[in-house]
Amino acid sequence: MKNYNLKLKIFRFCIVIFTFAFCILNLSEANAQQVSLAISPPLIQTVIKPGKAILIAYSLENSGDPTILTARVVSFEPKDNFGNIRLKDRAEGPVRFSLDNAELSLDQPFFLKTKASEQLLLRIRVPEGAPEGDYYYSLLAETTPAIGREGIGSAQAKATIAANILVTISHSGTIEIKPKIVLFQLLSKMKWKIFDSLTEVPLVLVLENQGKNLIRPEGKITLRGLLGTSADYEIVPKNILAESQRLVQATPSAEFSKQLISLALSGFFLGPYKLSANINFGENSPNIFASTSFFAFPFKLVAGIILVTIITVFIIKRFSADED
Amino acid sequence: MKNYNLKLKIFRFCIVIFTFAFCILNLGGVAAVSMDSSSFRIESASINDAAGNKTSDNYKLSDTLGQLAAGEFSSTGYIIKAGFQYLHSIIPFRFSISDISINFGTLMPNTPATGTTELTVYFGAAGEYQVTATELGKLRTLNEANNIPDTNCNGGADTCTDSQAKVWTSSTAYGFGYGMTGNDIPSDFINSTYYRYFADKNLSEAPQIVMSSPNVGKNRQATMTMKANISNVQAAGSYQTVINFVATPSY
Repeated sequence: MKNYNLKLKIFRFCIVIFTFAFCILNLSEANAQQVSLAISPPLIQTVIKPGKAILIAYSLENSGDPTILTARVVSFEPKDNFGNIRLKDRAEGPVRFSLDNAELSLDQPFFLKTKASEQLLLRIRVPEGAPEGDYYYSLLAETTPAIGREGIGSAQAKATIAANILVTISHSGTIEIKPKIVLFQLLSKMKWKIFDSLTEVPLVLVLENQGKNLIRPEGKITLRGLLGTSADYEIVPKNILAESQRLVQATPSAEFSKQLISLALSGFFLGPYKLSANINFGENSPNIFASTSFFAFPFKLVAGIILVTIITVFIIKRFSADED
Repeated sequence: MKNYNLKLKIFRFCIVIFTFAFCILNLGGVAAVSMDSSSFRIESASINDAAGNKTSDNYKLSDTLGQLAAGEFSSTGYIIKAGFQYLHSIIPFRFSISDISINFGTLMPNTPATGTTELTVYFGAAGEYQVTATELGKLRTLNEANNIPDTNCNGGADTCTDSQAKVWTSSTAYGFGYGMTGNDIPSDFINSTYYRYFADKNLSEAPQIVMSSPNVGKNRQATMTMKANISNVQAAGSYQTVINFVATPSY
């Protein structure tokens, strides 16, 4: 009987300890407040006549803790030729934005609980008489930062997620296509385009859009070698905004020494090769063309063979001398 | 002999069953769709008989036949295209911050205090993305009378800026700054001792990129370590600021 009571006590003690540990672990998880926002679609592109309006339904989802959000629209411009953007503080240009939701409007905060989503019905209206051209905007959903605790140093994070809107205003639907290849170049440390047969051959292709409307390149880069051998690399169709440049990538694109490039050619190359880019911008658009060439030779392999041969000859001679 | 024949029959039956199952499983595998390379991935945006994964040793390709919700449609006076032509157009662009309140505790002179938060980006549909960070004013007291200045890191040859990280290890180098480790971070964050200071929106400084990638990926994660170090003459008070993280997809 005494033994039974002891077991019961141990059992009760374990229950208390486990319950306490469970509570502690759960409390520590709940302490860090997190934010997790998702928006879809991330990109909208429209060609629209003055006097017309369209309605886009965005889905905004909160997977983090309950939060207060504010939706607003600002203009953006390309920051560099890698696809990064610079947001402006407000919406510029003639395009007008509003929300068609009954209970929501732009620049007004609203509450979104955990695991909830909100459909934002964004109306994009182009007034009559709006000048033709491209206008680029981002729909932002931004959280309201919490107030820090008294008595300690702290930084409160504000999270903003964006979806881009590319608007082309056109009376006739005609798009100005004025592309130019500004760079089609192999990255080589040497003046002459000579590569080792076993190393990657990095290629950079930069296009400039000199027109007033965004364009999207299509086409391929072709590699031709000796005996008519050739390989095609498809260009990834990414938008180039009006009056800007963008590095165009082809498959398989890659980074080279932490530098973004258009194409990394790999394999065993031997002899002279010619690379050409043939790019178009959709139906009835002009084709643009550029080419370059390089020479490949297995320097490292030949050097290795020579080194091995010298060492072998040296060893053989040494052994022969020892035997004599 | 009879027993031997029975075993032979069972063996043959098993062979037939296994062969049949193997064929069925293989056929099922071929029906599935996605495009992978070292730099991007294309997945099916709609489900139908023609869409599917095509794979070989060197590549994996997904395609779609037609689009459902996203895609191009035209009407009188406008044309709309949704999503990216070359990427999955129905996966949302997602951005998470693991902790939105980064506490340094009670700041002690010459004793650097740090706090971390994890940034996660899921950008299956966006292709390229960037996350920028900017401070909405200096780390300062609630009455705005005092502030902790932006760090210069160790100073001298190791003087950092808002766009160039340098080593900050000295306990007598004061200020407020941040370091980055993880995926898709700027290359100047060589290791965890490298710090920058935040661009200040109140001074009209341009937000700086803290994460970016030209390639498609899922769950790209980076850890931001914020650090504050004060001198003996720093006025007492509760020092606070707001850091604005902006995640944008490309175009």
